[in-house]
Amino acid sequence: MNGQQEIRFEDVSAEFAGRVALCQVSVTLKEKRIGVIGSNGSGKSTFARMLNGLVTPTSGGVTVHGLDPARDGRRLRRRVGFIFSNPDAQIVMATVAEDLAFSLRGRGLTRAEVDERVASTLESVDLTGHEEAPTHGLSSGQKQLLALGAILIGEPDLVVADEPTALLDASNTRKIGNRLLDEIPQQLVLVTHDLRLAARCDTVLRFEGGMLLDHGDPRSVIARYERDHT
Amino acid sequence: MIVLYRPGTSLLHRMPAGAKVIVFAALVLAIALTANSVWTLPTAGILAISLYLIASLGMPTLLRQLYAARWIALVMLVTQVFFLPVLAAVSNTSRVLVVIVLAALITLTTRVPALLDATERALAPLRRFGVNPAGIGLVLALTITAIPVIGGFAADIREAQRARGAPVRLQTFVVPLLVMSLKHSDELADALTARGIE
Repeated sequence: MNGQQEIRFEDVSAEFAGRVALCQVSVTLKEKRIGVIGSNGSGKSTFARMLNGLVTPTSGGVTVHGLDPARDGRRLRRRVGFIFSNPDAQIVMATVAEDLAFSLRGRGLTRAEVDERVASTLESVDLTGHEEAPTHGLSSGQKQLLALGAILIGEPDLVVADEPTALLDASNTRKIGNRLLDEIPQQLVLVTHDLRLAARCDTVLRFEGGMLLDHGDPRSVIARYERDHT
Repeated sequence: MIVLYRPGTSLLHRMPAGAKVIVFAALVLAIALTANSVWTLPTAGILAISLYLIASLGMPTLLRQLYAARWIALVMLVTQVFFLPVLAAVSNTSRVLVVIVLAALITLTTRVPALLDATERALAPLRRFGVNPAGIGLVLALTITAIPVIGGFAADIREAQRARGAPVRLQTFVVPLLVMSLKHSDELADALTARGIE
């Protein structure tokens, strides 16, 4: 793991087709569990997508674990695992084991090494026994666990989860939330509307209208967010 | 949900993907080149049935593949009867159906990663001409795995339209299917990029 576990945004703005998605965001994050909250269209997902270069800033600079996503995008994407809210869009292969192994293509690993990592990842995301299961026949919770496994198998330094529980029921939300917040060793950026999950982070960022409106102790940030929305 | 690969241990399942594609391509070519013989169609039909039995897939799977190809067969048949004798139109359509069920046998007995590896190996010599074998293999794999996903979209649309009491019409079916498929392709592209596959 990279010792330089720091995310730095310096005066970052992003515009799409004349619409400001992110406006002059400056923040330095060293915490292990980082929650991101805000209304729909507030800039949360744009912020998250900048962490692995899926979105590049219009102005300003982003540094993630010592790398610039705009310049070192390819290298960075191997070190940043990204989970989307819809697991169906992330599943590529027909069976669970094949989909996990797909993440390791082009990494120069032997068949035995791939099989070993697939087996240990299946265990870590509670999918042992489902190796041959058709991916699109899994439950929503299992699909999201598979999506998590598909990024963890690549051994990233940073995990970015963009509303990973948005399509899940309470039980699966708890399962995915616990896995992300309590079990994975990586630094985590969790974009969520679930304030109970955000409250379990070390720090919370609140976006509104593309601006970083609030940042700091989870309880205080969430209390102000709830006050503004009641 | 449409499942393409059927796990198994038959001779066809164990056959290397590259060799399987070559053998099946040769069979398809033979069926096309011997089109005028009266023996072609019965021989091809018996061959297809035998191969499905060898693959332990059985007749129900073969019949499902034929049923899935019914609209292609209908369009082919109807358009040909205007220009050809009925017997020739039926014979041509039947040959195409045999080719379709033989092609389906490849995806039914071959794992997608095996096809991906075989494609990459076969195209490796073209790398010096600027061809990207990994990219082409990925496109092939994504095309195969997209079939059940798009099948799922179609089922969702039909269900949603029935729930609203609306009759399922071509125009009200195709537009949402295209929108959902394009949205899925955007999300998939992002997901692949995020997984470091570019």
